Amino acid sequence: MSVRTIHVQGNVMARNDEYADRIRRRLRDAGVIAFNLISSPGSGKTTLLERTLDRLDAEFPIAVVTGDVQTENDARRLERHTGRLVQAVVTDGGCHLDARQIHDAVGALDLRETRLLFVENVGNLVCPATWDLGEAAKIVVLSVTEGEDKPLKYPTAFRRARYAVFNKIDLLPHLDYDLDMAVRYARQINPEIETFFVSAQTGEGMDAWYRFLRSRVSGREAA
Amino acid sequence: MSLALEICRMAEERLGAEALPEVVEVGVIVGDEAGIVAENLEFCLVALLSAPPFAGARPVVERCPGQVLRLAYLEVDDGRPEPAAAGGTR
Repeated sequence: MSVRTIHVQGNVMARNDEYADRIRRRLRDAGVIAFNLISSPGSGKTTLLERTLDRLDAEFPIAVVTGDVQTENDARRLERHTGRLVQAVVTDGGCHLDARQIHDAVGALDLRETRLLFVENVGNLVCPATWDLGEAAKIVVLSVTEGEDKPLKYPTAFRRARYAVFNKIDLLPHLDYDLDMAVRYARQINPEIETFFVSAQTGEGMDAWYRFLRSRVSGREAA
Repeated sequence: MSLALEICRMAEERLGAEALPEVVEVGVIVGDEAGIVAENLEFCLVALLSAPPFAGARPVVERCPGQVLRLAYLEVDDGRPEPAAAGGTR
């Protein structure tokens, strides 16, 4: 028997990262800032985007790419809040979006008419954290109906996110949820993480979120 | 699973589709901070490498510090002598 060992030493993410770099260059050249929203299922990403489109889409054009395992339901929901195309990526069982899918989706967008791009990733705090989609930053969204220790259970998501949005804070009076502890855990994993506390349902705390988005878009345009 | 599929794609890219049944071992290195559960990746690789076009290759997943995720090596049993540039014969 002649067994040969072929040394490869190939980065498994290399192909994805090439696409991500291509996306990043393309968005930068077009003056578009992109955020990749990652979360567990049911954290309220789509509602957060609905409210954001309602409030900001008239101020600056926002594009959305939604990822879903099996349906286009989120895209259909968001379409009701914008006149622009909402790109749906159905992963057919895949647990995350990859940069090739985003590359194709971005190719269908009119970037000249876009200042801000949201990628709503598949609801999953594990795999989406690992994949670079060419975004400016990952934003992890978590609901206060989840456990405070989510950051400790899913450290990669919180380590790689630059922002955390704590959603559904209107439910806090009805829950045994220690928000301070959740924030402490998030900062234990990522001391630099910036936080927002919102209820996308009632609008509580959303002004800070809108101010943040306005500042990022205006900063981007000035750059 | 998508990472396991990508590893299989890289093997095909490196060896060509016709050589995949000759692969006997696939070596992968997973960093502790790569955000990947090595046991899950190994489980997916076992499933993929035991079905055509592979013919029962064995995944060997090694841990290391850092964020790396690398296809380290492929072991191929093709009954041919080793070309000088491609690595050592065992």
